[in-house]
Amino acid sequence: MPAGSVGRVCELTGDESFCQRVREMGFGEAALVTKISGTTTSLCLVNGTRIALNHPAAMSILVEQIPALGRVDGPASAR
Amino acid sequence: MVGNPNCGKTTLFNALTGLRQKVGNYPGVTVEKKIGITYSQHGRPIQVIDLPGAYSLAARSPDEAVLRDVLLGRREDTPQPDRIICVVDAANLERNLYLVHQILDLGRPVIVALNMMDMAADAGVKVDAAELENELGVPVIACEAVNGRGLVELRLALSRLELPLARHRWDVPGPIAPAVAELQASLRDHDGRPPLIARAEALLLLTDFDTVRVGGSRPLSARTHEILQQWRQRWAGEGTDWSAALIRSRYDAIDRLCRNVIRRTRDTGPSRSDRIDAVLVHSVWGWLVFGAIMAVLFFSIFTLAEHPMNWIDGHVAGFGAWVKQSLPSGDLRDLVTDGIIAGVGGIVIFLPQILILFFFVGLLESTGYMARAAFLMDRPMSKVGLNGRSFIPLLGSYACAIPGIMATRTIENAKDRLITILVAPLMSCSARLPVYLLMIATLLPSDAVPAGTKAGIMLLMYALGTLGAFGFAWLFKRTLFKGGVPHMIMELPPYQPPRFKEILRHMFERGWLFLKNAGTIILAISIVLWCLTTYPKHPNPEATATEQIAQSFAGHAGHALEPVIKPLGFDWRIGIGLITSFAAREVFVSSMGVIFGVEAEDDDTQPLRDALRSAHWPGGAPLFTPLVCLTLMVFYVFAMQCMSTVAVVKRETNSWRWPLFQIAYMTGTAWLVCLILYQTGRALGY
Repeated sequence: MPAGSVGRVCELTGDESFCQRVREMGFGEAALVTKISGTTTSLCLVNGTRIALNHPAAMSILVEQIPALGRVDGPASAR
Repeated sequence: MVGNPNCGKTTLFNALTGLRQKVGNYPGVTVEKKIGITYSQHGRPIQVIDLPGAYSLAARSPDEAVLRDVLLGRREDTPQPDRIICVVDAANLERNLYLVHQILDLGRPVIVALNMMDMAADAGVKVDAAELENELGVPVIACEAVNGRGLVELRLALSRLELPLARHRWDVPGPIAPAVAELQASLRDHDGRPPLIARAEALLLLTDFDTVRVGGSRPLSARTHEILQQWRQRWAGEGTDWSAALIRSRYDAIDRLCRNVIRRTRDTGPSRSDRIDAVLVHSVWGWLVFGAIMAVLFFSIFTLAEHPMNWIDGHVAGFGAWVKQSLPSGDLRDLVTDGIIAGVGGIVIFLPQILILFFFVGLLESTGYMARAAFLMDRPMSKVGLNGRSFIPLLGSYACAIPGIMATRTIENAKDRLITILVAPLMSCSARLPVYLLMIATLLPSDAVPAGTKAGIMLLMYALGTLGAFGFAWLFKRTLFKGGVPHMIMELPPYQPPRFKEILRHMFERGWLFLKNAGTIILAISIVLWCLTTYPKHPNPEATATEQIAQSFAGHAGHALEPVIKPLGFDWRIGIGLITSFAAREVFVSSMGVIFGVEAEDDDTQPLRDALRSAHWPGGAPLFTPLVCLTLMVFYVFAMQCMSTVAVVKRETNSWRWPLFQIAYMTGTAWLVCLILYQTGRALGY
């Protein structure tokens, strides 16, 4: 996801414990996420909270970009 | 008192109890429960327990487990609380209510403290506290802990003899309900859990299948385990992730509740924190600012502290001279002047620099920059197999390794936590500061040497320790604790203006601790060391001070050590300093003061530095050459010399294995690196 774009979480993959923690933080499936900045380590906005994700974590969160709000079409990871 | 990380629990706790627990603007400041007393409106004492922050009762790190175990009544040292204050961040209500929702399931009396109302208003969020109270059925108190608003109302709520129990507005999703009921019954009948605790634990087990993590130290009964496995297999066969559905179901309920409670008054656009973050976590600007902050820190340590240090030095010298004139000559006078004043006074002089270090650390913690530093450092940390979360304990270890090691409790992965514990003491702590400063002053005696050069050498020592920590983390990750880079998800708190009152209070507390150490441990060691260097007396009363120390008890111990440290350029006198440093590293300075017989009557403000510069080997060669000073600093960078840290590592790892390993690998590395450095330097003619 490029910086400034908005997406919706489609799927969480990978480590089960991590997925549950992400969901408990309100970052689960269907949550809206705004990418603020970052390449290797990403900074996102979820429910008004700034969340930092490292590369493996970001690659585990699959996001569908929202054309009406975002800038680019097509699926992507939170990275 | 419970809540998400960084929602203001400790600030509220301090305001209620009048205590001064450490507060910081980053997640994970509180890692162990803290207890204080507040009073009801009728003067009845109420014990308040501040628990570490957590996003959920499904604990995944040791600090979160403290919260879960206290609430579920599993801690033998803490009875189950009579009532629970849930502190929630009004600006992030939905996420904060997830934990509240789980806690309401416990069926205990709950008070919700709706904190940070001012920040919510700034973010364009209006929270209707009365409507939230109506929805939940428990008292909801709007408050701003920082400004003391809402404290009276909170005390009144705590004073109520009876609190209403929450109206249950959440039903377990239909397909999961039989599993919850069956597990609840088994936990109640076979594991002896009270009914509501059994229900909460059943829900946790269905959200997190790790029974050891959820069940704690008491293993689940075979029957409960069997039921859990059956449900897990059944759900796996159906291909439905019911554990995710449970969390989603709670969030759906919270979402419905918030529709009546939250009103967004305006779209505020990018916040102040967003605009600051655009620079501070930028891939180029962020690193430049980080480097500038570190440079200013070390430069300030040298420049700002100069005048107060001279002032202290002058007064210590004056006091020593007065004592020397007032007491008759003899062993008692020598003990007071050469033992106590030289030892303790030599340490107290470094107080201004310690205060400056803690002021800067406090500033970084208070503003919210610590979490940004962890964000920036995530990339380099990933190169050694860790993530940015490990950097906060490491950064904290610059001040002192003990709170740094305790801060590792926020790390979820056990292997990564252990690696962070093992490398944290390599970060140069404030106790090393006096040693570095003394060696730099001996290395570069001229006042004409710019402060920038001295700060540069200091920065080099800090960089060496940091690189050492990274190098060993990389090595351990590839040998002892193999595994990939762990996932990191971390909340970055909004920036806040520095709370100077808190920073100064913490700074003076640390300064007082430093002085207390000087007045207890260092005083005791100075007296013992003076005795060990004074007795037995040399048969010749005209013997020089060096001859006296050489044949004393300490001299014998130092000589026994000398063969091991001589290849590093250190003699037996430095050896005594290295041994005494195991009590606390800064003791090295006072030990040198006692060993080199620095008398406080000297008018020179740098008597110890002069004494070191004039020290010689028996053959006449100078002892503290620039190369030896540098080697000694490097030894202090790597060696494990702090008994308190050893004790904390033992407690945190619950074994002697890791602290002993830590002593062996760090001190072994120190010896080897110093050997290479000194012998190479000698070969090159230094």
